[in-house]
Amino acid sequence: MSTPVIQLENVTFAWPGRPVLLDIARFTLQPGERVFLKGPSGSGKTTLLGLLGGVQLPDTGTIRLLGEDLAGMSGSRRDRFRADHSGYIFQMFNLLPYLSVLENITLPCHFSALRQQRARQRHGSVEAAARHLLAHLGLDRPELLRQPVTELSIGQQQRVAAARALIGNPELVIADEPTSALDADTREAFLELLFIECQAAGSSLLFVSHDAALESLFDRSLSLRELNRAASSAGVI
Amino acid sequence: MYLLRLAFRSLLNRRFSALLTVLAIALSVTLLLGVEKVRTEARASFAGTISGTDLIVGPRTGSVQLLLYSVFRIGNASSNMRWDSYERIAAHPRVQWAIPVSLGDSHRGFKVMGTTTDYFSHYRHGRNQQLQFRAGQAFDDLYDAVLGADVARELNYQLGSELVLAHGTGAVSFVEHADKPFRVSGILARTGTPVDRTIHVSLRGLEALHVDWQKDMPARGAAQVSAEQARELELTPSGITAMLLGLDSRVATFAVQRDINRFPHEPLMAVLPGVALQELWSLLGVAEKALFVVSIFVVLTGLVGMLTAILASLNERRREMAILRSVGARPRHIFSLLLLEAFGLALAGVLLGLALMYLTLWLAQPIILSHYGLFIPITPPGLWDWTLLGAILLAAIVMGGVPAWRAYRQSLIDGLSIRT
Repeated sequence: MSTPVIQLENVTFAWPGRPVLLDIARFTLQPGERVFLKGPSGSGKTTLLGLLGGVQLPDTGTIRLLGEDLAGMSGSRRDRFRADHSGYIFQMFNLLPYLSVLENITLPCHFSALRQQRARQRHGSVEAAARHLLAHLGLDRPELLRQPVTELSIGQQQRVAAARALIGNPELVIADEPTSALDADTREAFLELLFIECQAAGSSLLFVSHDAALESLFDRSLSLRELNRAASSAGVI
Repeated sequence: MYLLRLAFRSLLNRRFSALLTVLAIALSVTLLLGVEKVRTEARASFAGTISGTDLIVGPRTGSVQLLLYSVFRIGNASSNMRWDSYERIAAHPRVQWAIPVSLGDSHRGFKVMGTTTDYFSHYRHGRNQQLQFRAGQAFDDLYDAVLGADVARELNYQLGSELVLAHGTGAVSFVEHADKPFRVSGILARTGTPVDRTIHVSLRGLEALHVDWQKDMPARGAAQVSAEQARELELTPSGITAMLLGLDSRVATFAVQRDINRFPHEPLMAVLPGVALQELWSLLGVAEKALFVVSIFVVLTGLVGMLTAILASLNERRREMAILRSVGARPRHIFSLLLLEAFGLALAGVLLGLALMYLTLWLAQPIILSHYGLFIPITPPGLWDWTLLGAILLAAIVMGGVPAWRAYRQSLIDGLSIRT
């Protein structure tokens, strides 16, 4: 059996001076898996993403990414590990307004040598990789590339963000409510594209959302409230 | 390298506030460098008012006072030295040349100085520069006058113009030597020293004006001596205001000074021009130092403005930081990014300030020269200027550390979560 992409065991976390926010006995994400994590705002979702990104460390328990214990790494090693192996898509305004579409997409390759190398191996150059992703995401109209990113529609911005998360084929893509700003039609179209590209890149997808309507599209669906033993005792914060 | 580009693009995105910040720094740098330039040049020009003269001799008074009236033509001598003292000192074995200086008359606000033609060959200013004639030559006739550059320009006198000297040194005088007008025989080139504002006549000419005076009043009636009659007279002055001495060697200066200070026939004093100049400058230097301190503070104000602008932008840029963190930027990247931003703003400010300073200098140079007689050469920044500029950049980096540290802390706390 291959190493799980994410492996949480008996993880607890509390912000200093606050009650325990997260208490997760077990959670795994297998390679290539697409998991829907249902979590209303305040359920500790943001904190969980912080833990998975290695920005915060759990108080107890272990978090393994690709088999490596995050707590065993130095801070900068964790940062590099995150940059090398995971891509993020946020709810909205994912893009740096002062960079072009292409520059936004290639951003991770400037901080991760590994992803830059992978993009080159597959497509010859980082820019070719970005163009390839854009074409697959239906954003290859040349006039679109010349526009400032702030003039793109929200749907287009999210697709650019998806391309950025996927460039250099990270093992894990974490999407934090990426569709909540989109309307129903664009939402499904976006998800479909995201699935295809995650598969093409060989990335697992952890999709966090409160929108239960989407969960049927995933391999597996989990509720953070059920997963999190602290939520039942402390109530929703 | 990529961070540098990011910092640049981010600043470009906020170009208006960035431009204002750069402008504030640039103006403060212009002021600082400008003040420094004027300060150094004013000091150099001041120190170069008199050179090549080893000793200034006059009646006993303060050394600064002697310098003020004999060289700067400021104030009046309280007493004269006797002519025979002049002759005795001029005959001192170590004295190579001696120039008498006699003041007390004026012409339309400009001081008149009686001297000998030796003045034109021995007086030096700046870096040992001799006086040059722009037109004409030294006085030859009894009623010849040589004008300083400013006198000729402001009064619009040419060679051959006639001028009537006035008794006393006020701008408006009621007692004029109308009976003995002078004629311009020469006009000196500009020196940037008080020489420019002086009218030079021969000692004998000055004596001729006063030959018929009694008890400081002009003669009346038959006692009057006409200009032509005066030519026939023995015109040796009874006294002069001061004298300038050149010695046969620098080494002799202190020995001669001691001899003059112990002069048995009359209480006299000899001062070294360099020492007296320095003493005078230390009085004026307070204002100059204050100016420097003020411009340092203006630069600090500019940098604090930059600090404010960056700090104010931090909160609205938390999203930018979180995005950068999510694509793999480490907290130290965030720190460097903000430090680069501060450094970039300061560098742009310093360069623009330099350019502005030279532009201003280029525009103002002729105006300063004609109004203040101060020639400010356009030279590349010296070691001191570079030191100042380096210090400004260093200060910018130190101050840039404040927002950089805050953003660093913030990005550690915020992590990947986007808060706005």
